Amino acid sequence: MKAKLLLHLRALLFFQILFFTATAQNRTITGTVSSKANGQSLGGATVSARGSKIATTTDNSGNFTLSVPATVRVLVVSYIGMTSQEVSVPASGSISVQLEQSTTSKLDEVVVVGYGTQKKSVVTGAISSVRAADLEEQPVVRVEQSLQGRTSGLTIASQSGQPGAAATVRLRGFTTFGDVGKNDPLWVIDGVIVDAGGIGYLNQDDIESMEVLKDGASAAIYGTRAAAGVILITTKKGKPGQLRINYNGWYGTQQPMKKLNIANASQYALLRDSALSAAGKPLAFPNPSSYGTGTDWQKAIFNYGAPKTNHEISISGGSDKSTFFTSFGYTNLTGVVASDISKYQRMNYRINTNFKPAKFISFGENLGFEHGKSSGVGETNREFGGVVSSALNLDPITPGIVYDTVKYAAFIPSNPAQWSAATRTGSGQYYGISPYVGQEMKNPLQYIQNHLGNYNWDNNLVGNAYVDISPVKGLVIHSTFGTKMAWYGYESFTPVAYYNTSTSINVSNLTRNDAWLINWNVENTISYNHSFGSHNVTLLGGWGEYKDNNARTATVVYNNTPARTFDQATFNTDVYSALPADRQNSSATDGTDHRVNSLFGRLQYNYQEKYLLQALVRRDGSSRFGSNKKFGYFPSVSVGWVPTMENFFPQNDVLNNLKVRASYGVTGQDLIKPDFAFVPVVGAGGQRNYTFGTSDNVNIGYAPTAPANPDLHWEQTKTTDIGLDAILFNALTFSFDAYKKTTTGILEKPPIPGYAGYGSFAQNLGEMENKGLEFELGYRKKLGDVTVGVNGNISFYQNKLTKGLPGQTYLDDNSATFQNLGGIARTLIGGAYNQFFGYKYAGIFQTQSEVDNYVSKAGVKLQPKARPGDLKISNLQDDDIIDANDRTYIGNPNPTMSYGLTINLAYKNFDFIAFGSGSGGNQIFQGLRRLDIGTANYLTKYLNAWTPTNTGAKLPRIIDGDPGQSYSRFTDLYLESGNYFKMRTLQIGYSLPKSLISKWGCQRLRAYFLVENPFTITKYDGYDPEIGISPDSGGGSMYGVDRGTYVPSRSFLFGLNVGF
Amino acid sequence: MKKNLVYIAAIALGTQLLGSCKKELNVNDQGRQTTDTYYKTPADAFAALVAVYDRFGFQTGGLYDKVAINDVAGGDQVAGGGSATDINDLQVMQTWTLSSTSGPEGYVWNRSYTGIYRANILLSKIDGCGLDAATRTRYIAELKAMRGAFYFDLVWYFKNVPLLTGVLPIDSLYSVVQAPPADVYAYAEADLQAAIPNLPQTVNIASEGGRLTQGGAKAILGKMFLYEKKWQQAADMLKDVNGTNPGVSPSVYGYSLLPKFADLWKSSNKYNSESVVEFAHTTKSNGGWSDAGASDGNLLCIITGPRGYSVVKDSVAPDYYSGYSFLMFTKDFANAMYGDPRYAATVANMDSLVAVNHAKYNGAAAYGNTGFYLNKFMGHASDVANVSSTKELNFGQDEYEIRLGDTYLQEAEALMNAGADVTAGSRAYQLFNAVRARVGLNAIAVTQANIEHERWMELAGEGQRYPDLVRWGKAATVLAGRGFVAGRHEIFPIPQSELNNTKLQQSKEWGGTK
Repeated sequence: MKAKLLLHLRALLFFQILFFTATAQNRTITGTVSSKANGQSLGGATVSARGSKIATTTDNSGNFTLSVPATVRVLVVSYIGMTSQEVSVPASGSISVQLEQSTTSKLDEVVVVGYGTQKKSVVTGAISSVRAADLEEQPVVRVEQSLQGRTSGLTIASQSGQPGAAATVRLRGFTTFGDVGKNDPLWVIDGVIVDAGGIGYLNQDDIESMEVLKDGASAAIYGTRAAAGVILITTKKGKPGQLRINYNGWYGTQQPMKKLNIANASQYALLRDSALSAAGKPLAFPNPSSYGTGTDWQKAIFNYGAPKTNHEISISGGSDKSTFFTSFGYTNLTGVVASDISKYQRMNYRINTNFKPAKFISFGENLGFEHGKSSGVGETNREFGGVVSSALNLDPITPGIVYDTVKYAAFIPSNPAQWSAATRTGSGQYYGISPYVGQEMKNPLQYIQNHLGNYNWDNNLVGNAYVDISPVKGLVIHSTFGTKMAWYGYESFTPVAYYNTSTSINVSNLTRNDAWLINWNVENTISYNHSFGSHNVTLLGGWGEYKDNNARTATVVYNNTPARTFDQATFNTDVYSALPADRQNSSATDGTDHRVNSLFGRLQYNYQEKYLLQALVRRDGSSRFGSNKKFGYFPSVSVGWVPTMENFFPQNDVLNNLKVRASYGVTGQDLIKPDFAFVPVVGAGGQRNYTFGTSDNVNIGYAPTAPANPDLHWEQTKTTDIGLDAILFNALTFSFDAYKKTTTGILEKPPIPGYAGYGSFAQNLGEMENKGLEFELGYRKKLGDVTVGVNGNISFYQNKLTKGLPGQTYLDDNSATFQNLGGIARTLIGGAYNQFFGYKYAGIFQTQSEVDNYVSKAGVKLQPKARPGDLKISNLQDDDIIDANDRTYIGNPNPTMSYGLTINLAYKNFDFIAFGSGSGGNQIFQGLRRLDIGTANYLTKYLNAWTPTNTGAKLPRIIDGDPGQSYSRFTDLYLESGNYFKMRTLQIGYSLPKSLISKWGCQRLRAYFLVENPFTITKYDGYDPEIGISPDSGGGSMYGVDRGTYVPSRSFLFGLNVGF
Repeated sequence: MKKNLVYIAAIALGTQLLGSCKKELNVNDQGRQTTDTYYKTPADAFAALVAVYDRFGFQTGGLYDKVAINDVAGGDQVAGGGSATDINDLQVMQTWTLSSTSGPEGYVWNRSYTGIYRANILLSKIDGCGLDAATRTRYIAELKAMRGAFYFDLVWYFKNVPLLTGVLPIDSLYSVVQAPPADVYAYAEADLQAAIPNLPQTVNIASEGGRLTQGGAKAILGKMFLYEKKWQQAADMLKDVNGTNPGVSPSVYGYSLLPKFADLWKSSNKYNSESVVEFAHTTKSNGGWSDAGASDGNLLCIITGPRGYSVVKDSVAPDYYSGYSFLMFTKDFANAMYGDPRYAATVANMDSLVAVNHAKYNGAAAYGNTGFYLNKFMGHASDVANVSSTKELNFGQDEYEIRLGDTYLQEAEALMNAGADVTAGSRAYQLFNAVRARVGLNAIAVTQANIEHERWMELAGEGQRYPDLVRWGKAATVLAGRGFVAGRHEIFPIPQSELNNTKLQQSKEWGGTK
């Protein structure tokens, strides 16, 4: 040990000698620094030699003199509020540097890397950053949307158009399978880990920067929770100097982005009649045209003037001794669908402060508080009773509200029991009840009326307090305590209701749910930064303790209260003294603690910022691991080289900077459900109980659920990444990454032989692989009066399940099912995760002889029940029957490519921003129509379905009962291309001239007009091709299944930025 | 030296940090019990015993049990239900299209093996439970008796099954092989023999009805001997159950035939004098649709009920609870039984009820409706649980695994085959004709044909017909019309899921090598 240490010291000494030899030849450079805008010289600007610690500041006239070694070839000139600039050391003579007002120069940026920051120029991992400046003036409410389209490697799809709805975030594809949440990246806000669902509390205006740690080497510092990637968010801090007051706000209206062409009453009657007559059944609607246009259910629930508003005011400032940033935000959104029950309100308060009473110590806190209140329409992408699904499937003949009870007698409840349960409008009318389309399809107006007033609420406090002590130069001891506290719940009342013969609510239900959660963590780090000569070393060591899922909930339900509406309902028993005790139910749950403790260390080293190295290791112990595997080690290493810094690299004006890097890192996933999966839990009740004697009482039985698996451990993800960062023509930044990510030990409960007698137990079995390419491009140039900025990124990825369960060739884990089609997806070993799995069709039979001639090799008719107009299903097995074995992989719901593009233009006081993003390579399952309800309404494209006189049609014939199974088999007929490009924002702004506003003490006053979601380019014929994994769709862990998704909105907003 | 001290301090601190953390990771288990912390008190042992009994009387969440399987397989009943695939596991028993991937074999297999596992784990832990000697002895006897019964089922249905005599460790999960059938029979016999002397002669039925007794274990063993054609042993074993003076006075265990045959099927008639081994059901288990298999209600009661049944006002029709129209008798069977005094208690002729305008039901919705319903189990509205939970899954009527009418006929058959005297006045004659006399039938000779007919009539709809036909060697002829294949359908295929990755082999009858 000791000998090795000595060896290291000698090696260091050797470098020292090298360094001193190198610095032997110094030269002196002189120059001036001035402002480009007004030509004034800048005193106090920093001029440093890149890759060394040699630096000076300019005098009051902007002059400087600096002595640098010959190895130094680039000087970095920086000044507060200005963009730093790099200039080549001239062969001779002095230099003159003109600095521009803060635009961005990627090189000098500092990126947050987890437990510290690093200059972007020396970063060796694959980290994408999004800064406040990129996000300002975007009317984004949730943080996931802030990232959408901004960086490579992220695929983000909103879960619904409901205000405040979360989005599905996947970093570099699917890392694992099983529980949906396992693929959500880890969100770390000012060092506090917040689960994916909990990120909604954060106000985008408070964000200073977001860093996406994409490669394993960067993410490994978060160890066993980093496998699905890490997103670091840093909130804004105050800066020493003048007090700053900023106001950002916007107000506007929204409308549904799209309305579908759906059959009106006459068209519906026509379609139904043709389906019936094709089946030889009597017509249901003898005179289709007599029904007119009927009810437009979409129009009935859509709001074309839904308001949307957001205000934030922030005050920041400070001195050398202390800084602060405080803000107050208010957001109020109204949904474009069923506005009365689709609302989102949020209030934010933030205080971030820092005190530095002495040179060696500073302390402070970052604290965000949020209060939210929202109402949701319920299931947003679900065909069983979702509001949108009901609007699309209900017949347009039924009136929304029955004003004429004589003419529309068929649409009101038919007997007294139903009358009393039926909902009425405020003025006493019945809501129309469809006699044609039943089951879960409800009159959406009635549904809205019955859900008025219900809401969810939450209060979140997320923050940390920290102290930094720096006893000697370069050494920082950092200690932080972070917490997330949340109080949340919901209040709801469901009245007795009669929706149709098969859907009614017989018992009213008044529910109050209250919950709280306190998660906390303690982290202590010690870091030491030292430069000796051209060697720059930063060492970090730390430990952390974490506790989460420390949650409690309690729910109280009163049934059969004598109330009709939410407002009337109350829990006060003095009002309901007659309410028997058995109608008052309560239940409660406890979360099972999840604890992690960690040790980690990191070495960052660079030589002249030319040769770069980072190595780190984290050891995590988790309460979810088995006794033999309590601790996991997650090492990583990454290296970089900046050839443009080499002496041999030719000086040129094309390639200004190039960095190549490579990394390898191991990360883990400890989301193991259920808790205590590693011990042999003895369960009670359920299929263990038995009764003895004549009393009929049940004895509770106890028996083990599954044997112990002491080897249960984390899923392990290894990522190899190679990449490069380049700056070209002093204006173009370019990044490229290629990666391979393999996850092993994916948790599965494999089927085990029944003779064991016990249940299956979680084991680390599955393996998955992701490969991908990522490109990021930035361009910024001033051309005369016009400043042009372009930022673009594009990512490609490929996913493959390399190992599944023993003895199984495929997996149907978390795959979607669709009504009577059954499962619609599968994962084949060697194929991509959760692909669409169904029949292929080979056109439409045009004549009976085509049907008759569609025979197997043995001459057996393959589709004897088909008739002209039905789909011809491919007989992939080449046997005598079309059956489930003929199914195959017919599409991929997961986008394989995603991209984003931002264009900024500025001309004098005008600015213009266009931002769009998209994804592609995937298919969407268009499941808007309920297949099991033959009478459900149709999109108008079905008017053009196959008939004997319309033989060129793309859609097979419509016939009642579908005997030919054209629609009742899952074929690629249901799949549509998911490619899209969505223009997300178009914005034009005008800043009042400084000369004018400075009279009012104003630094900045900008007004803008913005259109959100102006257009989408897609071939998809549903509302929106962007369909995330919706937790309430009941559809498993899948993108791209459209069951009637909540339509996104297009907004027209006016906004104001004011700064003092 | 000073430097060394620093290193030592650093290493010491480092190991401290590394070592100290593990304890922090042990989170509050919130009352969860593990196999190490449980099985410590008499109450734990009782609850673990209850879990074994649960398997004893277990009905699958797929809404059937052994009775339903054997009923359909026996040829006198159709699966019925709502469609050709409704409870498909029963439908395939009607058409004999069961296979290793489709059919009720998984239920039969898992019920027994889960029961065996639960028995084995309690047997391995029982010494730590602090039981008094008598209770411990009794529990062990009950566990062994049930384990013997589970193995009897397994070996009879599947022939080639693994014999697990203890808890299977996870590292030998996939290395288990099948045992020779004779070994399994021998093991089951030994289990039951060991249990018998330690079981109580009788139990207090109010508190312990349903717990195994000496008579019950002997009846199981006797039946097993009968199935093995060990005639004399069967007769000897069943003799104690049936008593010295069958049909006249109760046996030492208190067993005697109920005077009224129809009373056997009254929900309230639990643990009556004819009940030898009974599967208990209750109205109070709050069974729900999320896990119908967890219900301790009798699921036969709901599946056998007629669809859309309603009583016409002021009529005297039975108050059947509308059900799903399963397990209907064929017209042939109804005709064959018509005239037998047990007919009314056995067969509910729905169409005659409709014809006299006493009731209505939706026969059209019943798949393959015959109109002849299984009266022994049909749920009655008056028996519906007075609970707010899912009523249809919480009927309280028990099932007889073995009743005295059955053991009388079994012993008579065993005696006859063992070559004992069967003439009038013989014990076999007495046994056989006691069953007939109870329903008012005159005495007839004890012959194979008469015994077969009597069992057919007496035990119709009770899941005895299929095993009887198989052991009499008549299944192939009687069931030929339904697609029964001789040399195959006498046993069930080993479920495919048991063959995946294991050393188990499919039986030869099912195209395998075992």
